[in-house]
Amino acid sequence: MEDVQVIAMLVRRCIAGDAAAWEEIVQTYNRRIYNICYRFAGTGDDAEDLTQEVFIKMYRTLSSYDSSKGAFVTWVTTITRNLLVDHFRKTKQDRMTDSMDTAASEHEDAQPLSEQIQDQSAPPDAHVRSREVSETVHAALARLSPELREAVILRDLQDMDYREIATVLRVPEGTVKSRINRGRAELARLLQRTYRQVM
Amino acid sequence: MPEHTHNGMQCNEFDALLSDALDGVLTGTVLDRFQAHAHSCKACGPLFAEAEAGRGWLKGLMEVEPPANLVANILASTTGVDTQRLRASVPQHRVTWLEQMQASVSGFLEPVWATVRQPRFAMSFGMAFFALSVGLTVAGVKPTDIRAISLRPSAIRHTYYETRARVVRYVDNVRPVLELQAAIHGVKRNLEPAEPGRQTKPAKVREEKNDDTTQQPEQKQERNYSQTDSRYMLACAPLGPSVSDLPVVSVSTYRRLV
Repeated sequence: MEDVQVIAMLVRRCIAGDAAAWEEIVQTYNRRIYNICYRFAGTGDDAEDLTQEVFIKMYRTLSSYDSSKGAFVTWVTTITRNLLVDHFRKTKQDRMTDSMDTAASEHEDAQPLSEQIQDQSAPPDAHVRSREVSETVHAALARLSPELREAVILRDLQDMDYREIATVLRVPEGTVKSRINRGRAELARLLQRTYRQVM
Repeated sequence: MPEHTHNGMQCNEFDALLSDALDGVLTGTVLDRFQAHAHSCKACGPLFAEAEAGRGWLKGLMEVEPPANLVANILASTTGVDTQRLRASVPQHRVTWLEQMQASVSGFLEPVWATVRQPRFAMSFGMAFFALSVGLTVAGVKPTDIRAISLRPSAIRHTYYETRARVVRYVDNVRPVLELQAAIHGVKRNLEPAEPGRQTKPAKVREEKNDDTTQQPEQKQERNYSQTDSRYMLACAPLGPSVSDLPVVSVSTYRRLV
């Protein structure tokens, strides 16, 4: 929960040229923005580049922030989402929800995600297993359509409320809820085939 | 989604309430109607279960750790300079002139050092060092002496004169000894008989070998024993007043006729 007064003060100091204030903003929000970029873009390298681009854009447009219009975190998330959408359009990752039986790569030796998971033997270490499960869910999340993906990321990973998400996505709250539900259900269907015995 | 009505709730209403139901904010009759519709509707029931499962999967995802240099890169790309706190966190390493020289020298010494480190060369250098150290130890050279050497011109000149005087003193001291040794050798040379070993030893060997001469023809003896004996006698005679006092020795030889 951000303190509105503290953030407003930091923004004013930063606009006045205080480098320490800018550094504090970067220290506060870099983790959140990096995680949104990582879950949306799918790779760490892309997430790092996108996070830097988000902060560059923030630094240039910081004077346009109006605290009366919304929270700073909403403004930051909106910038991040817009940049991610631009990135998605540039890279033309124009794919919608896929079945897990579809090969993930264009390489001939690429296996469908379900086969990759099934080939893996049960790891003895629970930590390793948990990490593998996280990677599987992350891969399945990348197979959702961008509209569903951004909705579930902001809701279930960033814990934003529906109104804030609606502000960021510029859609009604009902649409936000519908996208979140469809995204969750689609993700479950993607993972259900593999982890049916676990579930 | 088909618009069916089950237990007084349509599917679109169920879809709108699905998020609230998963968030646990539905209460009272709305919750009862929602649950009744989920149990009776073949489309909405599985949707509720899948949405709940997907939400569980997403909640299980952990937050990833950003790269360590992300903040520094962001600050460098935005403000262009590092902040004081970042500079304080990074230890400043001042490069000394010795490190610079080592870096410049290591460029061309590295290939040579790589060659020297080969086992055969290393063994050769080890043996050479061992031989040198042994030689210096035998010669009495100590590292402390080498360390004490002064390379000033005056010190070198002093060392030169000191060494030269030492050599001159050594030669002067040795000269009487050499003269005495030369005199002793001269006396010995005069007292010794002329080639005594060359004539006696082969004769003895010949006598031992030809001990049994019964089956062999006798060889001709051409040696002049009288001269040999007289020379012995002369060497062993005491120094007297005159030669006439010497005893008269008669030597006769027997020759067997063949």
